[in-house]
Amino acid sequence: MTTTNPTCPLSETSVTPPKYRHDPLARLRPINWNRVGDEKDLEVWNRLTANFWLPEKVPLSNDIPAWQRLTEKERTLTMRVFTGLTMLDTVQATVGEICQIQDARTEHEEAVYTNIAFMQSVHARSYSSVFSTLTSTPEIDDAYRWAVNNDLLQQRCKKVLKHYYGNDPLKRKVSSTLLSSLLLYAGFYLPLHFSVHATLTNTADMIRLILRDKAVHGYYSGYKYQRGIENQASERQNEMHEFTYELLEDLYELELAYSGELYEPLGLMDDVAVFVRYNANKALMNLGYPARFSPGETEVNPEILAALAPGADENHDFFSGSGSSYVIGKGEDTSDADWDF
Amino acid sequence: MTTIASEVPVRTGIGERKDYHALNAELNLFAPDGSIQFDKDRQAAAEYLRQHVVPNTKVFSSAAERLEWLVDHDYYESEFLEAYTPEFLCALHERAHSVGHQFATFLGAFKFFTSYALKTFDGTTYLEGFEERVVATALYLGQGDEQLATGLVDEMLSGRFQPATPTFLNAGKAQRGELVSCFLLRVEDNLESIGRSVNSALQLSKRGGGVALLLSNLREVAAPIKRIENQASGVVPVMKILEDSFSYANQLGARQGAGAVYLHAHHPDILRFLDTKRENADEKIRIKTLSLGVVIPDVTFQLAKDNRDMHLFSPYDVQREYGTPLSDLSVSDHYDELVANPRIRKNAVSAREFFKTLAELQFESGYPYVLFEDTVNRANPLAGHINMSNLCSEILQTNTPSTYDSAIGYQEIGQDISCNLGSLNIAQAMNSSNLGSTVETAVRALTSVSDQTNVDAVPSVANGNETSHAIGLGQMNLHGYLASQRIHYGSEEGIDFTDIYFLTITYHAIRASNQIAIERGKTFAGFEDSTYADGSYFDKYTQHDWLPATQRVRELFADAGVTIPSREDWVRLRESVKQHGIYNAYLQAVPPTGSISYVNNATASIHPVTAKIEIRKEGKLGRVYYPAPHMSDDNVGFYQDAYEIGYEKIIDTYAAATRHVDQGLSLTLFFRDTATTRDINRAQIYAWRKGIKTLYYIRLRQPALEGTEIENCVSCTL
Repeated sequence: MTTTNPTCPLSETSVTPPKYRHDPLARLRPINWNRVGDEKDLEVWNRLTANFWLPEKVPLSNDIPAWQRLTEKERTLTMRVFTGLTMLDTVQATVGEICQIQDARTEHEEAVYTNIAFMQSVHARSYSSVFSTLTSTPEIDDAYRWAVNNDLLQQRCKKVLKHYYGNDPLKRKVSSTLLSSLLLYAGFYLPLHFSVHATLTNTADMIRLILRDKAVHGYYSGYKYQRGIENQASERQNEMHEFTYELLEDLYELELAYSGELYEPLGLMDDVAVFVRYNANKALMNLGYPARFSPGETEVNPEILAALAPGADENHDFFSGSGSSYVIGKGEDTSDADWDF
Repeated sequence: MTTIASEVPVRTGIGERKDYHALNAELNLFAPDGSIQFDKDRQAAAEYLRQHVVPNTKVFSSAAERLEWLVDHDYYESEFLEAYTPEFLCALHERAHSVGHQFATFLGAFKFFTSYALKTFDGTTYLEGFEERVVATALYLGQGDEQLATGLVDEMLSGRFQPATPTFLNAGKAQRGELVSCFLLRVEDNLESIGRSVNSALQLSKRGGGVALLLSNLREVAAPIKRIENQASGVVPVMKILEDSFSYANQLGARQGAGAVYLHAHHPDILRFLDTKRENADEKIRIKTLSLGVVIPDVTFQLAKDNRDMHLFSPYDVQREYGTPLSDLSVSDHYDELVANPRIRKNAVSAREFFKTLAELQFESGYPYVLFEDTVNRANPLAGHINMSNLCSEILQTNTPSTYDSAIGYQEIGQDISCNLGSLNIAQAMNSSNLGSTVETAVRALTSVSDQTNVDAVPSVANGNETSHAIGLGQMNLHGYLASQRIHYGSEEGIDFTDIYFLTITYHAIRASNQIAIERGKTFAGFEDSTYADGSYFDKYTQHDWLPATQRVRELFADAGVTIPSREDWVRLRESVKQHGIYNAYLQAVPPTGSISYVNNATASIHPVTAKIEIRKEGKLGRVYYPAPHMSDDNVGFYQDAYEIGYEKIIDTYAAATRHVDQGLSLTLFFRDTATTRDINRAQIYAWRKGIKTLYYIRLRQPALEGTEIENCVSCTL
């Protein structure tokens, strides 16, 4: 083993811990947030930490009366939608984000994925909070059995897992972006629809917190994909382009089949399909690709679209919830000048 | 796979989409040409009425038949109607319908029918429109006085006066909560008082508005119980009990029970109190829905200025040493003495760290509210010490403790606070042909609520109301009015207008209360010890001329035909008040006016708008979009939102109003997410220096990360 040369940048003479598996002899380097190569890493990190939240913050129990007003069918739908979301978040937390660490372009990117992975686990857990607040253990167990036995849900997950465990870093990125920006959203349709119609509004608040995070997660994976692909040879670029649209097509078909099973009985499927196409385009945009669907095919109901905005500018009344707009602040000491009175 | 179904599936239940929601949401999406789609919202309102309200409204052949049916079926009380002749009842309904009231926005209509209008017991059919609700309210508050009832119909339908939610929601209904919005209770340092307070909190939230409780006197963690050390568990467990109590009781489901607790900054539990709102607080101590308020005296600012520690004093020891509860002692006056007294247990924290912690929590949760103790007490016209505020931080009145026997019956009934509110719409009030009479009608309506209220479940509240007849006349639509006159919020002219408007209102409110005292030969209890009685309250108005500073504001008042009270007017009023007194111990309080400002088409309170298109979310409404009142494509530039305007201009505007208002004004501070705790601290220092009495929520706006926005979304870009 050698020591590093003081005149040479550390990044050239050392590696971050995940690279150990390729080069056990290389010198390891601790993360240094004082040398940030890609400002986007810091921007996203700051946004993610400011947006940190836990489901315990949301007074979900205020939704119990609304839950009791739902019909049997509506409750089952809600539980299945949320179990489906839990499944995807579990995939993303335990594999999807973690597997991107090995391909990170900067050490800060590695750190960002650990943060995202944790928040995905928080999301997965938050649905459980909804269940335990609103429903009973047998109902919860039923919903989980449904998730395990539902072939379409299983296929949706395995379709991306295959690439997460594959050898191609860019395919991992594409899969992850499509999961964060496309697959999850069909599940969000229901709570957004609820929020417009004043049902389960606290649950909807929680979903908006999740959405606020997902918007950043999908965006970030897509951004990193674009950085990864831009210097590749055109053949490789073409290959990835083709791969992306093929995977999108597969996932889109699966999504419609899966959502159809869920939403058809309530008559919401047409609207959900438009919403899925809208988000497919959004996922492609995150990846830097042109839209797959025409504007006419992606005209989401205005009330849903307006509810989707991730900005935290909702003006809620404090009688009925805690809202989705607070963030963790930056502490800064006051100086003598501030107290000059 | 195709998703185009050959026939539209039947949608029932929650799967059903509502066209008017879609139209309303388009308000938040730009038209292809980039303009705001105001017309879509008006269509939404019209469609809502056409598709939903009209088909679901019970039709009667006449007003008389309707009233008879409502009384027979137990929807209306009969007593308030029997105070009038049938002819008058008919005539008043006709008068109301001849006005041709229309809802200006979808949210206004939706809110009214969802939350205020009387429905059949099964919830399916409306039994009232806006006019009928107004008439029932006017008749109820008129108590047989035809002139007052008629005046109230005119004031309410013109939009000049709007009673607060509990009054407007409940008046005349047979199944209802109280007409009063707001209650403030003292809690003393014994288990009987705590137990009684929990009971009172339950009783009061069952009956209506919010309840605030004063915790400053409760002994701190590890204080002695029966002189045995390390026994007490402090204020946090009491907060938990209260939080659960409020979630349990609500007003027939109409309004979620809501509560606030106030604690003095120099209470030893102050940091534990604040930490209950932490994002990662343990479930056992985490407070989700209870609102917090902190009472800060001047001395805390002085200590922070000197960068010294602030001492926290055991209320248990203070009570034993002084024979006075901590809440009733001016900590600023006694600070050095308390520090020097070895018999008072104390600990110390850095004053600046305290303020920083306060700001951190405000970032995370919007709480706590802040009450500037010494400012409030300097401005209080009555004898006694003000130690707390309410759920919206605009009620500021004195109170006295109660004592209880061991079965928590009252030994001595103290005075707790209740306050009923109603607000004038500034733009409409400036249009009034006689502003003085508008104010007088409003004061009489609010006084009627006080007279007709007897909260027997909580004797201390009933006693407080009986002795004080306190009311809170508020104001709303300041920003809407200024923008309609093409004046910027917080500009020199904007502040000048606020100053003179509130001066004029104050004059008429005192004049009206004096008039009532003359008519009834009765004042509030304690008038003799107030600064009204010795006339010193009026010094600021009688020692020099108080006139508009700008030409524009002189013109506004002249053009509107509103006379600004002169020095001579004030002197005459002072003499009449000295001789006859006033009926109401407190007259004004400016509430945040959430719901009623939507129904009334006003900008909330005297705040700037929070957005040109506001996204409103409520438990019963869902997510709805609301355009700023009086906004059009021509004057959009005058609707800078609160985040753009910044805290100085908001505080300056409030400071101008505060000088005239005997109680408080709900003042929210708005920050972008780029702010730090230091920015919040600076705003608090600025507010305190400007003589602001209380601070309400801190609100934060975080724009979407670049690249993640929804295209064409008005609320993202404006």
